[in-house]
Amino acid sequence: MMLTSILESIATFVPETVLVATFCVTLVSGLIARRKPAVPAALAFVGMLVTLWAVLQQAGTDRTIFSGLLAVDPFAVFFKGIVTVTTLFILLFSYFSTEVQTSVRRLAEYYALITAMALGMFLMAGANNMLMMVLGMELTSLSSYILAGFTKEASDSSEASLKYIIYGALSSGLMLYGISILFGLTGTLGFADLNHAIANAVPNYFALLVATILIIAGFGYKISAVPFHFWTPDVYEGAPVTITAFLSVASKAAGFAMLMRFFKVVFIDTSVLALPAGMWASLYGFEWNKLLAVLSVLTMTLGNLVAVWQNNLKRLLAYSSIAHAGYMLMGIVVLSDKGLAAVLLYFIVYLFMNLGAFYVVMLVADRTGSEDIDSYKGLGYRAPLLGVAMAIFLVSLTGLPPTAGFIGKLYLFAALLDARWIWLAIVGAINSVISLYYYARVFRNMFLRDPEGQATPVSIGRAQTVLLLVLLVPTLLFGLYFSPLVDLANASLVMVGVR
Amino acid sequence: MELYTIIFYVFAVITLGAAAIVVFSRNIVRAAFALLFAFFGVAGIYVFLLADFIAVTQLLIYVGGITVLVLFGVMLTNRQVSVDIKTGTMQTLPAVILTSALAGTLIGIFWSTDWRVTAQPLASETTASALGELLLGPYVLPFEVASMVLMVALVGAAMVARREKKPS
Repeated sequence: MMLTSILESIATFVPETVLVATFCVTLVSGLIARRKPAVPAALAFVGMLVTLWAVLQQAGTDRTIFSGLLAVDPFAVFFKGIVTVTTLFILLFSYFSTEVQTSVRRLAEYYALITAMALGMFLMAGANNMLMMVLGMELTSLSSYILAGFTKEASDSSEASLKYIIYGALSSGLMLYGISILFGLTGTLGFADLNHAIANAVPNYFALLVATILIIAGFGYKISAVPFHFWTPDVYEGAPVTITAFLSVASKAAGFAMLMRFFKVVFIDTSVLALPAGMWASLYGFEWNKLLAVLSVLTMTLGNLVAVWQNNLKRLLAYSSIAHAGYMLMGIVVLSDKGLAAVLLYFIVYLFMNLGAFYVVMLVADRTGSEDIDSYKGLGYRAPLLGVAMAIFLVSLTGLPPTAGFIGKLYLFAALLDARWIWLAIVGAINSVISLYYYARVFRNMFLRDPEGQATPVSIGRAQTVLLLVLLVPTLLFGLYFSPLVDLANASLVMVGVR
Repeated sequence: MELYTIIFYVFAVITLGAAAIVVFSRNIVRAAFALLFAFFGVAGIYVFLLADFIAVTQLLIYVGGITVLVLFGVMLTNRQVSVDIKTGTMQTLPAVILTSALAGTLIGIFWSTDWRVTAQPLASETTASALGELLLGPYVLPFEVASMVLMVALVGAAMVARREKKPS
């Protein structure tokens, strides 16, 4: 009985299996082809392509595997897709990055750890049980601690790694404590069982609240929400740009996937029916969404206000990514399918624009040796394509038409207004205005300022240009033609166990 | 007071006392030795919970393995044995407020909550075989993922610790 169920589960576990195989093969290839860093890179890339194929095969599946521990549903598949595409981009970035390629002897481990991190995020996206949630998070975090300190010659990279570990240990400790309280209240770890247990017997409300807050500490750390964001600027600045970009998109996506599934499946009240379509209620009116609303306001406001003072572009984008976590939290607060769909849509858009911005930072830093905002002076003339691309990515991050970022924000705000969360929408809008200010500082340096002293043109290779266009075209295209994305986001809302 | 309760408190005191030494000691070797007793006390508490397998694992792996490794690590990096580690305290007031609020909340919860208890008697006297069946049955995925987590930790530790050749 058990054996057949396990064998059946393995058949729906192909993407993860491919990732583990890629991890092992990449690692071993580094030992064999010692002086050829291209070999592990190519193996990892092929492995991720196969993973992408396997993920696409899972489209439409809606079940749990391994005794209900892991969900394979459209929601999980969507986030696995986001993680896989991001990983593919990061592998390409790494191939072009001087910073990464200088440490030839450790490159195989670098690529292997990226696939391990992707595996961790897959498990986070599918986790239907708090045990799997914690394990997926630990796998992701462990890999990212090491990768953040990859360029260990640079002292700020080691510092970033150490800070990351300390904050990570603290917040996973808090989260585990919260989980232990929840387990003590209900005697189960599975999301669906938790929902039944909480629905059937009113638990101690205060204990439930404290457990939820402690668990939010763990989620907040992964999505870098205030006040659990302290690691973000230092890690983003110290880590190699490729890893920073990876953390800012994939790691955040996995964290959000876990958070949405946890709150929706555990706290949904299936007995309340008198609600407009696509809305749901929380058990006993337990207002965890108000907690998240507070978190969201704090996150975007602090992220945006502090970003105004930053002069290092990586640090600026770190604070901007904190702010974006705040915007996306708004979509969860409203307790509606429309809100969740907006978050999913935002992630597709965010993938292209944020990776694009980090890619330009990487290209410029590799050529000028600086991530300082002053080194962007006159970039629009020294490297017109880079300058224009950066401008478009930043406009998109601000959320102005005709870019994809506008569509992302539009759907988020529409969901908020639909659910009558007017004040939160206003706070979000004010924050977008603030964000325009610091993004505009970059435009001004790129186009309105003359370069200081060295007016050397910054040139990039043909392959780099193609990759840049692959990121740039969707950022513009999805701003004009977005209905397939909306359909995809709406179709990906199905979570196992919630009807 | 029953003998049972007395022994429980003995273990509790061992655990907490040793843990306090780990945190407050300025000498890293002393802290490492105290950690040994803290782990030992926790093993005793596992025995009280009738978790025999976990208790033995705790003794073998934490008390026997990890603490010894920590001690070796400390002694091999012998430059640090005589050096006092920087253990200054900063931001004392906010830390005290925050931690006491957290501790108060948690203690309050432990007093006031009706924890879910099962009246079922234990299925068997030892837990090892039941655990084994669970680990290779319904919980086979976490079991395997844990091996992946350890593998990543191993690769990472090797990568961080490896000596780099000076670029010539």
